[in-house]
Parts: sequence; structure tokens; C-alpha cells
Amino acid sequence: MTLSKSLSLAALGMSAALVAITSTMAVAASPAATAVTTRQANFKKMGGAMKVLKDQISSGAISKAEAVAAAKTLAATGRAQAKLFPNGSGASAGVKTDALPAIWTNRAAFDGQMKAYIAQADKMVVAANTGNVDAVTAQFKAVGGTCASCHKQFRADD
Amino acid sequence: MSKAAASTTLGTTRIWDPTIRLFHWLLVALIAFSWWSGEQHDMERHRLSGYAILALLVFRVFWGFAGPRTARFSSFVRGPGAVLAYVKSLGSRKGHAADGHNPLGGWSVVAMLAVIALMVGAGLFASDVDGIESGPLATYVSFEQSETAADLHGTIFNGILALVGLHVLAVAFYLVWKRQNLVRAMITGRRASEEGETTADLRWSPVLALVGIVLAVALAWAVSKGFQFN
Repeated sequence: MTLSKSLSLAALGMSAALVAITSTMAVAASPAATAVTTRQANFKKMGGAMKVLKDQISSGAISKAEAVAAAKTLAATGRAQAKLFPNGSGASAGVKTDALPAIWTNRAAFDGQMKAYIAQADKMVVAANTGNVDAVTAQFKAVGGTCASCHKQFRADD
Repeated sequence: MSKAAASTTLGTTRIWDPTIRLFHWLLVALIAFSWWSGEQHDMERHRLSGYAILALLVFRVFWGFAGPRTARFSSFVRGPGAVLAYVKSLGSRKGHAADGHNPLGGWSVVAMLAVIALMVGAGLFASDVDGIESGPLATYVSFEQSETAADLHGTIFNGILALVGLHVLAVAFYLVWKRQNLVRAMITGRRASEEGETTADLRWSPVLALVGIVLAVALAWAVSKGFQFN
């Protein structure tokens, strides 16, 4: 075996090992990091659901089935979110997050905001079920208000 | 009118019509206000400011074809030869009064209009991460696309800052090096005329200006409604 051949084989072996190590690391992400990525994906889902409602409001017509589905997504995902801020899932989780330390230093206030959001999201399901654009518009503002007030207090401004 | 013109044109020549000056200073004020309202998360006013800028852009493009000679693209968008010749003359301290935009400044105008148009365009399709606040055209794209538009809206702002910075530096350069006060000209519409210089006065139609303003406001209004008139 020539020198260059054995060198390239060694390089191949090393890169294979590197790939194996990094992929194990990815699989074995800490629970805190998993919480961060899960809740971020959930927030995206909620943003998408908000947009469905917003688009219907600006078109002036509510398509009931879609609106109800979006509202249910908001309520159900909100309930999941409340459990996705375990201790240590702030900046120390090692994943980029906009979650401010105040979430954990002022936990009662944060939980209160979450509850307020869930309550308004539940009312959104009711409003969507009426199929009435005014009802949906008013409740959209109420839901959005709880999002905004919590973000103001507990999310970094980017 | 002609009497007043005769008494004030002595030693100066008119290069900017009133609508161009109004366009310029409104744009300055609205870009500043847009930045401020954006920082304050005052999205209601941020959107209004954006619509007003859109109307200004539409008017400026219209005026680039229908306005007086110094406003027309055909008069100030010059080829590389003219630009290069002008750049070579920059070092000379001799002021060479241009009849409006100089060959280099003309491209600065084009670049600014283009970047501000991109900025407005991205803003129209943008949505915040919560899906609460969005531009009026976000309804035509997906949530992911509108988030991309929001990112672009933030990035393009750096381009505007760079061009504004360059613009202010250039104006300062003319003031210090060439002893030409371009700011005053953009306020009064006039610059000092050179000895023996005979420049034709600016000719523009108030009716066409009105047509441009109506067109600009109507288009900006339609866009602000997302073309959904209910």
C-alpha cells in the first residue's frame, strides 16, 4: 500500500468516525435543548394558525372549518407550550433562544401569562364556531394581546 | 409671477421643481419615522408610513417620465463613459454646476429608489413571528414566505443606511471640497449660476403633477387594502 493510499484511507476512517460522533451528539441532545427546539417549532405552528385567521379577517369572510381548526391549534399548542419551559431551558440549554431569564426568575407571572393566553385561545375556538367575521376579529385582537404582553415581558426583542 | 421670477433669478438658476423638493424631504422624514415606529413596534403607524413612502416612489417614477428635464431619468441616467469622465473630474476643486443630477449622482438616485422599493416590497409581504402584525400583501403568501420577507425587510435596511450615509458624505464633499451647497439648492430649488451661463428655466405641468399624485395615492391605497375591497 502506498503512503498516499494509506493516508487517504486514514482520512476516510477519521471522517467516518467524526460523522458518527456528531450524529450521536445530535441524537443525544439534552432534554433542555429538545424543549427549546420543540417549543420553537410549536410557536411557528401557532404563528401559522394566527396567519390563517388573519388572512380570513382581511378577506372579510370566515371559512368556518379552517378557522375552527386554526383556533384549536392555537389552544392545543398553547397547552403544550406551558410545559415546554423546564428549568435550564434558557440560554444555558446551548440552543439559540429568545427566552429571557425572567421566565424562570418570575415563574408565577410567566405561568399566569400562559394561562391568560390559553383562556383567550379557547374563546377563539368559540368565536370561530360562530363563523362571524366581527366575532373572529375581536377575539383575534384579544388573543394577539396576550401574545404581545407575554413577549414584551419574557422574550428578547430581535 | 414673471416679475417675481425676473427679480429673483439674478445670479441663480432653477434646477429643482417644487414637487421634487417635497418628494426629497418627505422621503427623509418618512424613512426616519419608519425606522422609529418600527423600533417602537408601533406597527399601525409603521404601515401608514410605508404606504406614504410607496406613494412617493410611484410619484417619483411617474415624474421621471413626465416631470421637468432635471427630474427625467432620460436626462440623468448616463452611460459608463459619462460617469467615468465625471469621476475623473472629482478631484478638481473647480465646481462644475450640473443641470440637476450629475452623472454619478444619477446612479445614486436609481440605487436609492431601487433599494427603497425593495424595502417597501418586502414590508408589504412581511409578517412578524407571531402572525399578529403583517403587511397587507402577506395574505397572498405562506407564513414561511412572509417570515422570509420580514428577514429581508430587516436586511435591506442596512442597504438604505449605507446609501444614505454615502449620500450625506457626498453632499459634505461638495460643500467642503467644491464649495457647492447642495442642501440649499434642494430647499430653494436654485443654485448659483456661473458667469455668462444661460440655462433654460424648468418647465413642468401642474396638471401632470396632479395626475401623478392622484395615481400615486390611488395605488398606495389599493396596496394598503391588499387589493381586497370589502
